[in-house]
Amino acid sequence: MKELNWYYPKTFADAGKLVRQETVLPHGGGTGLLLRNLSNTDGLIELSHLPLKTINITNGSVEIGSVCTYAEVVSELKKVDPNHILVKCLHHSANTPLRNRITIGGSIAMFPPWSDLMGALIALDAKVVLIGKNDGEFPIIEYINDKTLRKESMITAVKFKNADWRSDHYREIRTKSDMPTFNHTVLLRIDETKIVASRIIVVGTTSKFTCVYAVENYLNGRKIDDIRSAKIESLVSLKFTGSRFDDPDYSNIKAGIELGRMIQKMVRS
Amino acid sequence: MNKYTIVGKSEKKIDSLSLATGTSKFVDDFELKDPLYLALLYSPHAHAEILNIDDSEARKLPGVVDVFHFKNVKPILHTTAGQGFPEPSPYDTVLFDTKMRFVGDRVAMVAAESRQIASDAIKLINVEYKVLEPLFDPEKAMSDNAPKLHGPDRFTPIGAKYEPEKNLAAEVEIGFGDLEKGENEADFIIDHTYKAHYGSHCAQEPHAAISFYDEMGRLVIVTTTQVPFHVRRIVSKVCEFPLSKIRVIKPRIGGGFGGKQEVFLEQLVALTSIKHKRSAKIVLSRKEVFQNSRTRHPVRIRLRTGVKNDGQITFLEMDSLLNSGAYGTHALTVLSNCGAKVLPLFNKIENLRFLGRSVYTNLPVGGAYRGYGATQGYFALNQQLDMIARKLDIDLLGFIKKNHIQVGETSQVFKALGEGTEGVTQIVNSCKLDECIDIGAREIGWYNKRSKKITNGDKVSGVGLCVAMQGSGIPLIDMAAATMKMNDDGSFNLDIGATDIGTGSDTVLAQIAAEVLGVGLDKMIVLSSDTDRTPFDVGAYASSTTYISGGAVKKCAEKIRNQILDVAAAMMAADKNDLDLSDGRVYDRKNKKSISLSDVAVHALYSENQFQIQASASNVVEQSPPPFIAQFAEVEVDKKTGKVDVIKFVSAVDCGQALNPILTEGQIEGAVVNGICYALTEEYKFSANGNLLTKHFRDYKIWTAADMPEIKTIVVDSHEESGPFGAKSVGEIGINGPMPAIANAIYDAVGVRLFEAPFTPAKVYRAMKQAGVI
Amino acid sequence: MDGVFTVNGKKCEFAFKTDERLLFTLRNHGFTEVKNGCLEGECGACLVLLDDKPVNSCQVFTASAVGQDIKTIKGIGNLHKPHIIQEAFVDVGAVQCGFCTPGMVLASYALLQENSNPSKAEIKSALDGNLCRCTGYVKIIEAVQLAAKRIRENGGHHE
Repeated sequence: MKELNWYYPKTFADAGKLVRQETVLPHGGGTGLLLRNLSNTDGLIELSHLPLKTINITNGSVEIGSVCTYAEVVSELKKVDPNHILVKCLHHSANTPLRNRITIGGSIAMFPPWSDLMGALIALDAKVVLIGKNDGEFPIIEYINDKTLRKESMITAVKFKNADWRSDHYREIRTKSDMPTFNHTVLLRIDETKIVASRIIVVGTTSKFTCVYAVENYLNGRKIDDIRSAKIESLVSLKFTGSRFDDPDYSNIKAGIELGRMIQKMVRS
Repeated sequence: MNKYTIVGKSEKKIDSLSLATGTSKFVDDFELKDPLYLALLYSPHAHAEILNIDDSEARKLPGVVDVFHFKNVKPILHTTAGQGFPEPSPYDTVLFDTKMRFVGDRVAMVAAESRQIASDAIKLINVEYKVLEPLFDPEKAMSDNAPKLHGPDRFTPIGAKYEPEKNLAAEVEIGFGDLEKGENEADFIIDHTYKAHYGSHCAQEPHAAISFYDEMGRLVIVTTTQVPFHVRRIVSKVCEFPLSKIRVIKPRIGGGFGGKQEVFLEQLVALTSIKHKRSAKIVLSRKEVFQNSRTRHPVRIRLRTGVKNDGQITFLEMDSLLNSGAYGTHALTVLSNCGAKVLPLFNKIENLRFLGRSVYTNLPVGGAYRGYGATQGYFALNQQLDMIARKLDIDLLGFIKKNHIQVGETSQVFKALGEGTEGVTQIVNSCKLDECIDIGAREIGWYNKRSKKITNGDKVSGVGLCVAMQGSGIPLIDMAAATMKMNDDGSFNLDIGATDIGTGSDTVLAQIAAEVLGVGLDKMIVLSSDTDRTPFDVGAYASSTTYISGGAVKKCAEKIRNQILDVAAAMMAADKNDLDLSDGRVYDRKNKKSISLSDVAVHALYSENQFQIQASASNVVEQSPPPFIAQFAEVEVDKKTGKVDVIKFVSAVDCGQALNPILTEGQIEGAVVNGICYALTEEYKFSANGNLLTKHFRDYKIWTAADMPEIKTIVVDSHEESGPFGAKSVGEIGINGPMPAIANAIYDAVGVRLFEAPFTPAKVYRAMKQAGVI
Repeated sequence: MDGVFTVNGKKCEFAFKTDERLLFTLRNHGFTEVKNGCLEGECGACLVLLDDKPVNSCQVFTASAVGQDIKTIKGIGNLHKPHIIQEAFVDVGAVQCGFCTPGMVLASYALLQENSNPSKAEIKSALDGNLCRCTGYVKIIEAVQLAAKRIRENGGHHE
């Protein structure tokens, strides 16, 4: 049994001070910490009294408080744009009761290989807002790669610019409520007859995530009528670990086929 | 067309409301005074000798009361199989052994003042192991240089063939006719090997047991069991405690499916209580249920069938190898059932051989699981039938109708192959399989879809069939009993040993009694599965409850009826033969008068020639009339990726008179979804060292409602004369169909045959690639 | 540590360990209708409503939920006055062993609070966190459809 100290800060300043203790972790009500070994943790900062549950959608910009749950993000964004990539990614993640607890901040901090969230945030060039030892806005990829940013710091929000993208999300799952072996996030910008820009992220690869530049380069500037699924498949060469009991070679083949299908569907709709 | 008053009606299950409002108590819900909590230490090695256990550090932890292991617990050989005595399973288990036989085998147990202290103490036990070479491949189990799991002190109480020095847990062989003749007569021979894989029951309630002393100093065990009477007997033997001092109670149980037909935790709480004179409690975690309880036995079946061009099957040879895991519980009986419940269905095969072996391996332990060998056997048989029909280019449905067992017929297999011992000859009295096939075929649209390979983008559809029979109890072995008494207000106590594990048997058995006595369910007070208060019943397995326990209830109710009529006849000065029971009254047909059952009861209890209207009856029978089922799967296979989706699944079942149609449907629907998941998503994965890796629901996948396709269940009108109000049993048969029907449907769609499930996208893809379809 | 919670409408003060899960705090204080099926948030047997939202109580630190409103199955109906959803489950045969039923009913309740006329697909989706091995879900889906219909016919009232 682990004796934990619980803190209930009422201001950002207080939270920022608390999080600078190395063995104290922030907790927004998510499920990540409950799956972890807390033997090196002395305390948890309960974040529910802080104003971290707001979602601000202003002209072209979205800011989501880190304690927002997946269900809350889906519900709020749906009102504004039911086709938003975050709605597509999160509405079928985990299961209904879990979506009422999993938080955006907790999910970013944990970034498991089955994350449905990270592909979208990477594709959207999101920034995390930190307080504590590291203070300010940091690009998501920098946050992922630089472990020192996690130390004695806490995510208060994630921000991204809202641009005009056609988007879709695919999960490789065995049953509807499953942690995906891999998942695709695709953003396309289409200008009448051709693709102007694209972002394609696969999460769940050996390097945790992969930006599939080969396919992006194939698509950018290409006429829609000239896009071939078979060509897209052949450009996909991803490494999987088999950690979700999958067959890594097959996962690569499946990832390619499903990516080709997704893109075909998106351009023809 | 229902000729009964309450039988055949979908009466509400009597415990439904209590369960839906959370009032019913399950084992973990009972309040215990000051219990000792038990935690188990499991072996990290697949095969090892324990050289020493040092529990001194664990004992020092405040709150630790005891540590049990081989040094302080007497090793009494037994089987954990919940079967009748003498059990047809080898006595190869002791509570705490010196040898570990699978990753997850039991090393030691801590009894402590809290769950937390018990699980902390486990980590402080020091064990010195001598690691031995493990055996994981059942095909290699009997080779000379294979590691040996069990010593010569092991034995089988029924004297069945058992050679532990060769890792042979059981062996069966039957045959008749002349196999060679059959081979020579055949125009072609189909010879394939099928593999049925591991499965976990996934009953939503994990196993649990509590024990405590009552006010009279008797030991009470409340446990998640399908077999309370076997629990009492086995605990008495293993704990060397008088049976008369033990009371076993089954409360509400959160599902069993065979996983709770096993006596492996009750001895632990009993041992603790007996030694420390305190109550004790153990509740398994889901991880422990996956690894440390029981599984479905994986079975490898080689099936050879010889066929003439005119469709006659000239011979059949089924060679089964069952992977028993570390212990041989149910090893003989599940093995036997691969043939016993499967081969009689095609009784016109004159030259037949069934041989099977169950072998020990250093892997998790197989046990009872719905279907019990028939599921594995039908996976092989139904694919083979599909292949035969295709090779002959004939209508599969017609082929099956021509060849299956019919009313008035028997099969030599019935007598030759029982459940572990010799069987009992059966003559089929009711069989509506043809109707099941026709109705099911219509519902799925068989002839519009079969071989049509209808495409939908990248997907192609196919349909497949499975036909099956099961049994209704084990003839001459399964016994059930019931006791009834009548109360002042014309209500009745019905005390039955029969075990309701969510199936609704309390309700169905009450309906039988109510039908005999002409009352509603509100007049039936049911008490079940308490070894002090209810008479014997083998328990909920072998699909015995409706048929055998139901038969006991009917007999008992008829005795009660007789007593009521005697009293009423005297009261009404009528002829007993002119009297009927209905609507809670006794009607005199001749004199057009009636009195209430309450009048009768009060008269008998208080007025004259007072006596308690009460009766007991037992039931053990020679018959085990098989239910029959035809199950159809429609699938869509993605031609590029191999992903298989079930679009529709149809079951048409003949279970005799359905005593409660909604409950009957519920049994089939639950079994079907279980079977579909077993076919598509459920998989045990092991590390190279034999450690089970899939020990959580996030890894071992089963469906939620979100995955559901269209499931249709049709209960065909049927009547089995020997059954209570025409009933046969229905608890297991539904699980046999999905795996073979889906395999056959996949073949119908993409021309690729799968001999091992689960049919994951990767597996189907690779099969299609190998067949040149991709 | 200690905390005050509202459980089924009543203020309750609970003592609990600092790393305790809400599931165990509830069960230790007599709310045994909340079941323990897997401890990993996959089976839904421990599902309760936390501030009206369905959550897996095995995935909630009790310390996180201090001051919040909790509803278990006993908070929406009882033997003498069952909720329409509980009655519907009973009527169509959606209760077999009953272990999944409290979680299943609460998840259905949460759905019907938001959506009084859910499609079959919406019902299936709302129950994607509740495992049942007995029924095969067929009658559970029917039960929710029936409950929705009865509530609508009852003018939106649940009793």
